[in-house]
Amino acid sequence: MAFERRKRPESSESALQSLADEELMALVAKGQARAFETIYERHGGAAFSLAYRMCGSRSLAEDVAQEAFLSIWRSGGRYDRARGSVRTWVLGIVHNRAIDALRRTVVHERRRASDEGIEERFEARERTEVEAARREEASTIRGMLETLPDEQSRVIELAYFGGFTHSEIAEMLGAPIGTVKGRMRLGLEKLRGQLAPQGAMP
Amino acid sequence: MITGGNGDHARFGDDVAPWLLGALAAEEREAFERHLAACGRCREEVAALRPAVEALPLAAPPVAPPPELRDRIMRVVESEAQLLQASGESADRPERARRPERRRPRRWFVSLSPALAAAACAVVAAVGVGGYLIGQSGSEGGGGHVVAAKVSFPAASASVRTEGEQASLQLANMPAPPPGKVYEVWLKRNGQMPRATRALFVVRSGAVTIPGGVGDADQVLVTAEPRGGSLVPTSMPVIVANTA
Repeated sequence: MAFERRKRPESSESALQSLADEELMALVAKGQARAFETIYERHGGAAFSLAYRMCGSRSLAEDVAQEAFLSIWRSGGRYDRARGSVRTWVLGIVHNRAIDALRRTVVHERRRASDEGIEERFEARERTEVEAARREEASTIRGMLETLPDEQSRVIELAYFGGFTHSEIAEMLGAPIGTVKGRMRLGLEKLRGQLAPQGAMP
Repeated sequence: MITGGNGDHARFGDDVAPWLLGALAAEEREAFERHLAACGRCREEVAALRPAVEALPLAAPPVAPPPELRDRIMRVVESEAQLLQASGESADRPERARRPERRRPRRWFVSLSPALAAAACAVVAAVGVGGYLIGQSGSEGGGGHVVAAKVSFPAASASVRTEGEQASLQLANMPAPPPGKVYEVWLKRNGQMPRATRALFVVRSGAVTIPGGVGDADQVLVTAEPRGGSLVPTSMPVIVANTA
């Protein structure tokens, strides 16, 4: 049946723009499509970038981002601000969806995607200030990762971006599982230490 | 349920970082999460390391999503928002108090992904053909609780009968569904998206069993869907019953 776009009694777009993410999520929980669209506008770029970094293919990244955002829409009421920012929540969902997608694919295909250093092949098209800020943020965090000993950043990247389990990583690197887990912990501790003084978290 | 106390810490303590990074296999993750619920030390470690993990996604080089992605997502969202509104004012009611949930990174959402939709639809279809109904009509014993439904066809009527865990939809004089379509029964809870049941029907009068009953749903909805059923409603409800 036909439905008319943008005719429902919802908050106006400019009013929505002025709301904080947390307030928008309360509207999303009530089924307000425009509030959801504003959330997408704010976080769709970071979400797609993460999905693309993990999947290494545009089409898979699009599928992952679509699944993630639809699940966000359908479970909007589950966002709990006590647990952190909306952005962190959104990216956590994208990450989980991407891991699920990666684990459905064959291991060596994944390895290629995560090893290739996709880096800047598809640069963001819009050079807005927001984009510029995101690029800077990305390179700051990448810089921090690069300061870790290779063996630590490697296991973190394989796990977080590659979607590999600790035992897959152990096999790939020819290292004992306990060693891999230990490197993950050391790497995260070190990263945490670098973040704290700069208050870099949103 | 809780099997791991602090005594297990030696066994699970190493899993904090892999768990945060999503690097545990499914069974390990479940075991760790059970332990986490009981182990204050692990929870502290999780809290200490979480900010590092939360910074990681921001390291992904920015890539602009294609505009079509937004269009695809918003098409679905708009149609679901429309359905949500059409199915009652419940969406505007204040949200019910939420139960505090333990943080479980991979369980934040329950809806089926579009990628799974095709597979699940196939299951729905198989169930439908296998005998859930497509035309199971007949009488059921009296008794139970009966709620009259709003029906968009003037000559038709419908009601939902619940008796204990059992529920059925009683129909009279429904028009046949549009060509190639079946009617599908949905359960909806206050403020949430309708949930597909396995009940598909084409009968015009009679009783249609709702497998599993209505549970805690506030509303029972019926929409016309492509044969085999949908996971997400694709048309406006033709029957709405408030069961709360």
